[in-house]
Amino acid sequence: MANQDIVIIGGGPAGIEAAKGIADLGYKAILVEKRDRLGGNPDEQQYAALTPDLRDTEEALEEMIAPLRDNPNIEVKYNTLVTGAEGALGDFTLKAVSMGKEIDIKAGAVIISTGFQHFDPGRETQKYGYYEHDDVLTLTDAEKMLKAHNFVRPSNGEKPKRICFIQCVGSRDRQIGNEYCSKVCCGISSKQAIEVRQQVPDCKVYIFYIDMRMYGYWENEIYWPAQEQHKVNYIKGMATEIVKKGDKLLVKGEDTTLRRPMEVEMDMVILAVGMEPSEGTKQMASIFGIKQNKYNFLETTGGPLDTVSTNVPGVFAAGACTGPADLEDSVSAGGLAAMKAIASVRKAEMATA
Amino acid sequence: MSKIEKERIIEKESAVVQGIELTADWNRMFEQRVVFDYDTTGLDKVADLAGGESMAWCYQCTQCIPVCPVNTVGGEYGPRKIFRKLQQGMDLFTHDDLWKCTTCANCLRVCPKVVNMIEIMPAVREEAVLDGNVPDELQEAFENTFEYGNPLGESQRKRADWVKDAEVEVPVMKEIKREVDVLWFVECYPAYHHRGKDATTALAKIMNVLGIDYGVLGTEEKCSCDSQRLAGEQGLFEEFAEENIKTFSKYKFNKIMTTDPHALNALKKEYPKFGGEYEVVHYTTMLAPLMEKLDLKNKLNYKVTFHDPCYLGRHNGEYEAPRKILESIPGVELTEMGRCKEQSYCCGGGGGGMWLDGFMADHVQERLSENRVKEAVETGADVLAVCCPYEVSRFEDAVKSTGNEGKLLVKDIAELIREAMG
Repeated sequence: MANQDIVIIGGGPAGIEAAKGIADLGYKAILVEKRDRLGGNPDEQQYAALTPDLRDTEEALEEMIAPLRDNPNIEVKYNTLVTGAEGALGDFTLKAVSMGKEIDIKAGAVIISTGFQHFDPGRETQKYGYYEHDDVLTLTDAEKMLKAHNFVRPSNGEKPKRICFIQCVGSRDRQIGNEYCSKVCCGISSKQAIEVRQQVPDCKVYIFYIDMRMYGYWENEIYWPAQEQHKVNYIKGMATEIVKKGDKLLVKGEDTTLRRPMEVEMDMVILAVGMEPSEGTKQMASIFGIKQNKYNFLETTGGPLDTVSTNVPGVFAAGACTGPADLEDSVSAGGLAAMKAIASVRKAEMATA
Repeated sequence: MSKIEKERIIEKESAVVQGIELTADWNRMFEQRVVFDYDTTGLDKVADLAGGESMAWCYQCTQCIPVCPVNTVGGEYGPRKIFRKLQQGMDLFTHDDLWKCTTCANCLRVCPKVVNMIEIMPAVREEAVLDGNVPDELQEAFENTFEYGNPLGESQRKRADWVKDAEVEVPVMKEIKREVDVLWFVECYPAYHHRGKDATTALAKIMNVLGIDYGVLGTEEKCSCDSQRLAGEQGLFEEFAEENIKTFSKYKFNKIMTTDPHALNALKKEYPKFGGEYEVVHYTTMLAPLMEKLDLKNKLNYKVTFHDPCYLGRHNGEYEAPRKILESIPGVELTEMGRCKEQSYCCGGGGGGMWLDGFMADHVQERLSENRVKEAVETGADVLAVCCPYEVSRFEDAVKSTGNEGKLLVKDIAELIREAMG
């Protein structure tokens, strides 16, 4: 008889939604999480508010996680790292290290939801001086400060008077190797710009961009309010480098609609870093033999028609481990993966019966 | 920082300085090259005004620029460009850019963000007027209006003098002392300007022949002040609106007919804010359905092209009535200009432009009216038909200045009907 339990690797938004869906459908979900808490990047990186609705992250995550607690159909294994896998659809045995002990986890199908990591702006080029200038930050750094309601210049602890965001850092870049658009950074920068304007009303905020990619409702829910109600200034043109000038940062680039060079002083610069596959995603690819695309994200088989199936029968992938994804994408894919995983073990069971 | 890095050399393809055309070698000038700051104080100042909010909404899609009539004639203008200048520290309240907009609403028609220059310009101009920063010519028109009740500076007592020149008896409300169906709001240019009066007397004849029960206010009528309002004189507008509304309240009538689309705009959209709510129609809207009742004996044999007034078309949605009238005149062949109806090109007279021709000459390569007349000539038309009292004089001047005298006549639609009546 085929095993009908589903193991989910990674307890971020996609994994949480998958576990909940499986349990709701009456199957058993085993959620494996390497940390001692659920919530993935939004929790680990201490996001202040979610995009696009600026909802408090803790509150939203709590809403997602609450149905998992004391749920007889869900077992969460914290501090657990999957190290190997054997078997096939209907009969997988996963090797794992859980709380320092080696264990086996048996399941009929596997959902991988190991997510992404933020691009490290010092990784390949130093043009923005992320590791040199205290006041050059990433979206994730800014998120933590906004969450703490302590948005100040790291160099001197003072509230900034002028800040800018630089878009597309680590994305859309052949030299870095990340040719794709990371999809969420335009929205997150705009969301943070709104939060900065709310927390430090005297601070002028500028966003330097190649083109603003505010798809769907993000246009009217974030981009327009940022400009119209919160007076965020969008300047078309990328900043190429940052140099120190006294205690300020001189941001150099070209203002493309004016066709003139710009050299503007800023108190802080926030780099809109994109997404890359997490270490966990790359490890799971190797453990399960899942095909990766040229950017090392997990490759799903159906293009836009099937966003969760992989080349390995019984192994599915959901969320940002398959490519840049926002919260909506991740949650939607989590639900879809739950459905497809259950369908696969049911079919396997019928085949053996 | 060295001077070379800091500044850039600009060389124009052609430049005319004080009437002398300078070749590229001679018109080199220096401009600051590097953008060192985005001082948005100027933008915030506009956006903080009631009515100015939408200035800050521009996302630089640039759709407004090709349709801006001022930009078309080399004015380097349009909402997108104003936004960028404001983002670089321009103070619109004291800048010449404040007075170039004719409030023609062609930008608003195409703007996905609804950046509304029709509200922004009057709001900023009102502040400039209060600070006394107004071009002299415009100030004179304001003062004339304040002193004489009309921007031309004519005596209020002479406002009904045209009645004497009319072929027919024109009922004046305070004389006939009875209720009428239609109160005809004549407005200043139709009452005073010699070419305006040609159309006004023609219209009186048409009204009489049609047996329309109407009356005019004569010397009791005052300027509607819509263009003064759009040019920043909100105070003057309110004062005159209240006076006109008071005069209207003395008489009984079913609806108001205006000769002037600008008056139509004021009475229809602005007077209700001061308690004056009426059914208001433009004269073309009123006459269009009545044309079959007229016995038009004269065949005109004109090829006619029609200029849509901004304040009749884009601002008040009437495109069909003037065309219907023209098509019902025997012998008239109507031909359209490329820019017609919603896309119509502004004559330059709206939003205070009527009183800023000298000022504008320093900022554009040709007048808007000249640009429009050239387009009319290109259609091969004999007659440029109009139905806004600003236009006859503006276009007749432009016909002369563009060397098209004898090729194109400018006539009000009322004059054409009158001509066909024989």
